[in-house]
Amino acid sequence: MLIVNNIFVNYGPVNALRGVSIEVNCNETIGVVGPNGAGKSTLLKAIMGGVTVKSGIIEFNNKHITGKASESIARMGISLVPEGRCIFNTLSVEENLKLGAVIRKSGREVKEDTYEMLNRFPVLKNRFLSRAGNLSGGEQQQLAIARALMARPKLILLDEPSLGLAPIIVDQVYETLAQLKKQNLTILLVEQNTARIIEKADRAYILRTGTVELEGSREKLLKNTGIEDIYFGFNKNNSTGEL
Amino acid sequence: MSFRNFRSGTLYFFWPAISLSVILILISIIGILCSVTMQRFISDAFIKVIIVVGLYIFIGNSGIISFGHASFMTIAAYMSAWLTMPVAFKKLILPLLWPFFLNLQMNHYIGLIIAAIIASIFAFVVGIPLMRLSGLAASIATFALLSIVYTIYGNWDSKTYGQGTLVGLDIYVNLSLTLLIAIGAIIFAFIYQESRWGVALRASREDEVAAKACGISIVSQRIIAFVLSAFIVSIGGVLRGHFLGTLWINDYYLDLTFLSIAMLVVGGIHSLAGAVLGPLIISSLLELLRLLEVGMTFGSFSFRAPSGLRETGVAFVMLLILIFRPSGIMGGNEISWPFKSRS
Amino acid sequence: MSILFQYILDAISVGSLYALAALGIGLIFGIMRLINFAHGEFIMVGGYSLLMLSSLWSPFMIIGSCFIVIILAIFAEKFAFKPIRTADPATMLVTSVALSFFIQNLFVMIVGARPKGINIFPRLMKHVSFAEYRIPGLHIVTIAVTCILLIILAFFLKRTNFGIQMRAAAEDFETARYLGVRANLVISVSFALSGLLAAIVAILSVAQTGTLSPRMGVQLVIIAFISTIIGGMGSLSGAVLGGFFVGILIVTLQVVLPEEIRAFWKAFVFGIIILVLLMRPQGLFRIGAKEERV
Repeated sequence: MLIVNNIFVNYGPVNALRGVSIEVNCNETIGVVGPNGAGKSTLLKAIMGGVTVKSGIIEFNNKHITGKASESIARMGISLVPEGRCIFNTLSVEENLKLGAVIRKSGREVKEDTYEMLNRFPVLKNRFLSRAGNLSGGEQQQLAIARALMARPKLILLDEPSLGLAPIIVDQVYETLAQLKKQNLTILLVEQNTARIIEKADRAYILRTGTVELEGSREKLLKNTGIEDIYFGFNKNNSTGEL
Repeated sequence: MSFRNFRSGTLYFFWPAISLSVILILISIIGILCSVTMQRFISDAFIKVIIVVGLYIFIGNSGIISFGHASFMTIAAYMSAWLTMPVAFKKLILPLLWPFFLNLQMNHYIGLIIAAIIASIFAFVVGIPLMRLSGLAASIATFALLSIVYTIYGNWDSKTYGQGTLVGLDIYVNLSLTLLIAIGAIIFAFIYQESRWGVALRASREDEVAAKACGISIVSQRIIAFVLSAFIVSIGGVLRGHFLGTLWINDYYLDLTFLSIAMLVVGGIHSLAGAVLGPLIISSLLELLRLLEVGMTFGSFSFRAPSGLRETGVAFVMLLILIFRPSGIMGGNEISWPFKSRS
Repeated sequence: MSILFQYILDAISVGSLYALAALGIGLIFGIMRLINFAHGEFIMVGGYSLLMLSSLWSPFMIIGSCFIVIILAIFAEKFAFKPIRTADPATMLVTSVALSFFIQNLFVMIVGARPKGINIFPRLMKHVSFAEYRIPGLHIVTIAVTCILLIILAFFLKRTNFGIQMRAAAEDFETARYLGVRANLVISVSFALSGLLAAIVAILSVAQTGTLSPRMGVQLVIIAFISTIIGGMGSLSGAVLGGFFVGILIVTLQVVLPEEIRAFWKAFVFGIIILVLLMRPQGLFRIGAKEERV
């Protein structure tokens, strides 16, 4: 469904992504993990057209989306749940959800989906008309996911959904993701917390300072001891570790 | 260190300033060879260089656009008038001026220095609160400063002649004086930007948080630049007044503010070369457009552009630069060393 | 008593005008973080359009000049502001100042620097009798028009889908785009609305002063700009309240200041600006908007 082929992204003179390639197939849940500054958020932004891709190609359902405007990419069926949730604080929960459905055409279907979201995330029902800024961290995360789902996306990107949340809330979030997986939604998930990803994802990529250091299926990664080395900055070839 | 190494070392280090000074000297020579009118035009251009270099000391190093520097010029220019105008004139035109000034007539150059120092002290005092602000808020505050000074000087009829034109300033400004001061301003600005203070301020321009983490006091550095910049700019303001022989408050308000920022932007905000070349280029453009406004005849065909062409032309050029080459003509670079690099 | 009432009405009328002008600036700033100094020139062009169309029947004259200013605003966005959309705030500020100067002096070239007299809506200058007071009809119209416009704008922004998109874009432009909000459309509409507001301000202002000059926008835009700062940049209700506040402040200063220093009222207003910037930079009236973090 999604093919990212050898992309390079710069922030001014800094190389954020150097030759990153990943692949997401239909109905898969793919994880992207790595330490801080690895370029995980940049990767998602590149897919959504939020940063300029200097070279390389991104394809979605066999169509080129490199360099397209974010609005167009959203309309092609990709939704992003940004890092830090990025809900609109000054708008109400209802308005946030409406915004998720900006690309939808049928008003009636949007209403139906809104009811569905409220059922799936009951906490939003209580706060439907409140300012989104008044919600707690966990509630905001649920709102952000609900908002992304309002677009009925084919592929959903999540950028560190567990960031800043208490573990028990994170459990709830991952419960939701498990449900989405059951409904055959394709998911690309970026996280710093490797353990959870490796439990839930079909496959995962490990990024460090802009390149893919390791990739593989769940089983393969569970066996690999090189992951800690990557996180702690050891040389890949020197996994016996030099401090 | 042999004598030759020392010379080429110093030359290399000061090259950006020296090259610009040489350019100014060459221009002066051309002026002397041409005509008195040309010399006057060049003097005026050099005054603009002084003003923009002064502006650059602050804007270029701190990254904050200041709309308030014309207020320093106002204060200094009127102070110079109070100090150096012939007593007879003062008693006639500004009879209500404070007695201390009324009976005083100083040497021009001493008056110039004192006026610039007073304006710099003013800059220091207002800088203390203002330099705590950053970015947009700081720019807005400097604009407020300009408006306050304009309002006060523009309505204080008894001391400044208000909205009228104050005449009777001695015209002592000529080409050699402006050349000398312009070169002085360039060297002054260069020494500052290469000094620890200048580097520290530029660091804060790039990344405030990182600079603070290095122990740089951003507010102090900004105040220093603000005051040094005010000093140079004030000198330019005084020279302006004594070049025309008259002072009109509206000459030190929005048009001047816009023009000086335009000249800096066109040349390039981030380099001294930009601060020198910008005014030279814009002065030439202004003169060209002025000739069109005045009217030219080609044989039996005469052409006269409507007034307002000059300002429109400058604004248009500025827009082009901002849209297509926002770093300015010099692009933030100094004039480069023409010889092979030292080993 | 009658003087007090006159003063209050005066203050509210002046405040309304500034509120509308401030709103024009606030709309653009909210979405693009750009201070549009050229807004003064939008107003000025609106004024001259009235002159150009003055032979037409009043409603056509009004609609025509609104139309002209809206087109100007959209063009200004396309040619001057779109290329610098991603630039730093300093560049954006300087660009809008340059554009302002450009349009201003272009008009000096076209129509000359001298002010022109213009008399539109002479009936409004007549006083209306109300109880024992005589009120300039124009004051009433200004206040009424402002209220109506504010209500319509509030409805548009709060109740319509596109209005919600605009508010979202104003809060977080990047995320709005990720959701599919069309950036260019939102920006163009903002400028068009801003242009409409500028045209209305022009009509009301010109009806009041009876004069046109290429520099007439400068004073207005400075005050409008001050209003947004005092009210809180990025907040539309702040801009409106700021406009009323400044209008009332100015009228009050001119009444209250002793004769000798009355001419210096501007210095007081700008002094207050500096105080606001130093002590409460988020503005006096801003409610609950996001602070920008390091």
